[in-house]
Amino acid sequence: MTVAILVGVLVAGGVYLMMQRSLVRIVFGVSLLSHAANLLLLSAGVLAWRQEPLSDRTDLASTADPLPQAFVLTAIVITFAITILVLGFAVIGHNDDTHHAPETGEDHDA
Amino acid sequence: MLVATVVVSVPLTRTMGRRACWVIAALYLAAAAALWPVAADVLDGRAPTWSVQWAPTLGVELALRADGLSIVFAALALLVGALVFAYSAVYLAPGRHITFALVMAVFTTCMVGLVLADDLILLFICWELTSVTSFLLIARSGRAGEFASMRTLLVTFVGGLALLVAIALIIARVGTTSVSEALTSPVWHTEAGTTTAVATLVAIAGFSKAAQFPLHVWLPDAMAAPTPVSAYLHAAAVVKVGIFLLLRFSPAFNETFAWHLMLLSAGFVTAVIGARFALGQTDLKGLMAYSTVSQLGLIVATIGVGTPLAMNAAIIHTIAHAMFKSGLFMVVGIVDHATGTRDIRRLPPLWRTLPGTFAVTLLGVASMAGLPPMLGFISKESMFTAFLQAPGPAWVGPVALSLAAFVSVMTFLYCAKIVLGGFVDGSDDRPAKRAERPLLVITGIPLVLSVPLGIFVWVLDVPVIRAADAALRGRPDDPGLSVWHGVTTELIVTAGVVATGAFLTVHRRRLWRPLERPLLPFGGPDVIAALRAGLRRLGLGIVGLTRADNPTRHLGVIVAAFVAASAAGTWAVLANGPLPHYRPGRDTLIDVVLLVTITAAVVAVCRSRTRLAATVSLSAVGVLMTAQLFSLGAPDVGQTQLLVEMLAVIVIMLVLQRLPIAFWNQAPVRKVRVGTPLLAIAAGVAATVVTLVLTGRRARSQVGLELFAQSEPVTGGTNVVNVILVEFRALDTFGEVAVLGMTGIALIAVLSTVRSDRLDPPRMHEEPPKPDLPAEGAPAHRAITVAWPNAVRLQILMRILTPVLALLSLLVFVRGHNEPGGGFVAALVASTIVGLAYLSTSRDRQIGPPALPLWLIGGGILFANAVGIAGLIGAGTFLGPMHVSLLGVSVASSLLFDVGIFAAVLGLILIAFNILGTSEDVFLDPEGEETRERIDDMVDEHHSTGRVGPTSRHIASGTTPRGPRR
Repeated sequence: MTVAILVGVLVAGGVYLMMQRSLVRIVFGVSLLSHAANLLLLSAGVLAWRQEPLSDRTDLASTADPLPQAFVLTAIVITFAITILVLGFAVIGHNDDTHHAPETGEDHDA
Repeated sequence: MLVATVVVSVPLTRTMGRRACWVIAALYLAAAAALWPVAADVLDGRAPTWSVQWAPTLGVELALRADGLSIVFAALALLVGALVFAYSAVYLAPGRHITFALVMAVFTTCMVGLVLADDLILLFICWELTSVTSFLLIARSGRAGEFASMRTLLVTFVGGLALLVAIALIIARVGTTSVSEALTSPVWHTEAGTTTAVATLVAIAGFSKAAQFPLHVWLPDAMAAPTPVSAYLHAAAVVKVGIFLLLRFSPAFNETFAWHLMLLSAGFVTAVIGARFALGQTDLKGLMAYSTVSQLGLIVATIGVGTPLAMNAAIIHTIAHAMFKSGLFMVVGIVDHATGTRDIRRLPPLWRTLPGTFAVTLLGVASMAGLPPMLGFISKESMFTAFLQAPGPAWVGPVALSLAAFVSVMTFLYCAKIVLGGFVDGSDDRPAKRAERPLLVITGIPLVLSVPLGIFVWVLDVPVIRAADAALRGRPDDPGLSVWHGVTTELIVTAGVVATGAFLTVHRRRLWRPLERPLLPFGGPDVIAALRAGLRRLGLGIVGLTRADNPTRHLGVIVAAFVAASAAGTWAVLANGPLPHYRPGRDTLIDVVLLVTITAAVVAVCRSRTRLAATVSLSAVGVLMTAQLFSLGAPDVGQTQLLVEMLAVIVIMLVLQRLPIAFWNQAPVRKVRVGTPLLAIAAGVAATVVTLVLTGRRARSQVGLELFAQSEPVTGGTNVVNVILVEFRALDTFGEVAVLGMTGIALIAVLSTVRSDRLDPPRMHEEPPKPDLPAEGAPAHRAITVAWPNAVRLQILMRILTPVLALLSLLVFVRGHNEPGGGFVAALVASTIVGLAYLSTSRDRQIGPPALPLWLIGGGILFANAVGIAGLIGAGTFLGPMHVSLLGVSVASSLLFDVGIFAAVLGLILIAFNILGTSEDVFLDPEGEETRERIDDMVDEHHSTGRVGPTSRHIASGTTPRGPRR
């Protein structure tokens, strides 16, 4: 229940930020949204079982589902890479306002 | 063998410069020799095959099948390729020609693959690759090649699309991807409509590569390429690929009237137009190009006749043409080297200074003009025979023959123009250097060979029969090739051609000038440019309907769609009956605490006015999320999340120092904007409902339990998440690492194309705050104005922390298989060292050598790939796990795979710090580096030793680096 609400809160915050003008805010929004997506993935493994999936310490009856965890780990790292990429683009030019195309100094309609 | 050539071509040219071409030429010959047993089999009438399953569910195989056609064309590609490489070794300017050697080798590989392919999919892939590589070969010749290569690409891709549709039709109709089965299918005899459609498409594809009217425009255009490329592409390779396609598909369409009509008409029109344009050229290379167009037209028309005789003739003329035209192109290269021009009007009488070249040119031209006893004479004779005996109404034969004779007269004339214009008539006294001897020898080989091949032409009998057999399926006909057939109609026609040609040649002075006037006010390139501009306008018009530079317009729609889909999905699930029992035991006290605190942090992120505050709140969310992950029993994920959060904060801070402090101010009079918050809340509610309805209501996942139970017995690792990442689903991880690495490279690539003044804005947007400084000498004054005392403590701390962190990273790395940890986490720990190093310096500087990140990324991915291939060899599947005993310790291959991950992650983070870490201080500090310099350093290792002058990139993009700073 709490995780479901948390997903909702994160999605709401993420969407709100993504609709803003500043590219930095948009990146933050994506970041929140990815937290939400990670939680959703984990809860697909049914959160009633919460022991760490280490097969020498935890027994089969109480272990959490390892597969969604592997997915989420991958997702976190990819999100990080995307964040770096977009942040890099945010610093081109003077401002990160997305209502104007970033001026790269090149003429695209030639 | 050829693949090996491709692989070795890069290091070879790196170390040996242009001389590497000799080695590659030798490799080509070796490849041809390796092909010899297969060829011998084919000549005995067998058709050796070889195949490997590729995509078994689709019935696609990597199937190769050698028959006469394949052998002839493969031999052409390899032998002429060897000649051209040997020529290049002398012709090219000394130095490295990595892309030249590499792309040429790739091209040859694709061409050989294409002619040997017995699978339609494989054939198509090779076809497209030859298009792409020939585009690259033309494009790499600088400014002049830029637009020419684009036009080549456009035209050949039109053909590629036609071929794709044709292949799709064939596979759909015949139901197999095997070329040999598809061609012998009875469908071609029963369904006239399908056959005509496919025949038309195949013909268009063939025409696009074989430069048939009106798709011929790319060929003269492509002369921007250097001479060896022209000699190869336009004599033996690309254009012959088109011919090959037409021959390959001939058996299927032999009963289709439209096929013959198209080939005959296009062929003759092209032959006449090509010859006419050739006569109007004053550039020797352009003349060669148009003469190629014309000769190809004749070949295509001959294929269109479709009789066994015609196939023989087409194949033998293909061979003859490859020999004399590659040689003649190389002659043009020699002339170009010797005099510095290729324009007939500016050439001196070269036969005095270049007697050897003149002699071999005479031979080549004699072959092209069809004079006995050259090979070209035999091929032209056999074409005449084929035309004369063309099936159909009685008038077809004579009409075809006279057209061919007309083209031959024009051929004779432009041949005369090459010899007389290029070597005899010139009046200019421009000095001419002597020809380089090796160049002359190599050039001479194909030209001189035409003589013995012409006289002893019967050695070609068997290959030609086999090839024609393959092009016609089971109707072999002895070509009976020989120089002397007695006095036949063809011989009389040839004599007439020669006489007319000679007569006109004598009167050439009156003939050239009117011919050299431009024929049309516009050229083929203009037509393509106009078409392209029109399409572009159309595309812009369509895009204009939907485009928005502001992302929110699209995002709003997507989010609204998400809400609607969630509502519909929930409704559908609920309507389907009561939900399954909800699993108890999900909510604990810590969850409630985290829910409250994270919600507060999210609200803070959304409401903060300054970027800094938003960043702090965001990292609060991240850290609390880490706690949530640990509480959900995901220690690996939690570790990763925590470290990513730390590094992300550092990167964000680096970015923020270059941006205004506050977010863009909302409108001065605050409008009440409810749309965005409403949409956000709706999305949040939808997400919550969906999570509640769709998750947490089932028993344990069988897959998860299976992985848990199997991980230790199968892999020896007890940390199941890590085992999944590096063993069970290692391919996913490999892809992820590739994405990660590419992100770093993309960042560099994009930023390196941005103009310098946008990358490093010349001034601050806001004046830095100027605090009231206490008196000089006071500690507070020093703390603000001098940087290094502030950094000292961190530097001392770093001395202690670096080894600790390094050890920790190593520990986390090694134990990853059994305990929480692994390559990702270890790399992130190591990255904190980099972050610390960056923070602790008193002024901006790069961490590590400039090119290091790229080496780390590339090396990491390649290393992971090598581990995967080792698994393919050792364990039978890509990335298959292996366990090696090293110094008594068992090392799993997955541990090595983790090394690759480690390197790539570290590389990306280095890039982020080094590129984003430049600050505005560079304008105050004369020693500081700009982002521009750092990016250039990363891309170009040669410039890593400090400031340099304008780089080639600056010149290419028309920008200049800023000079010495104020």
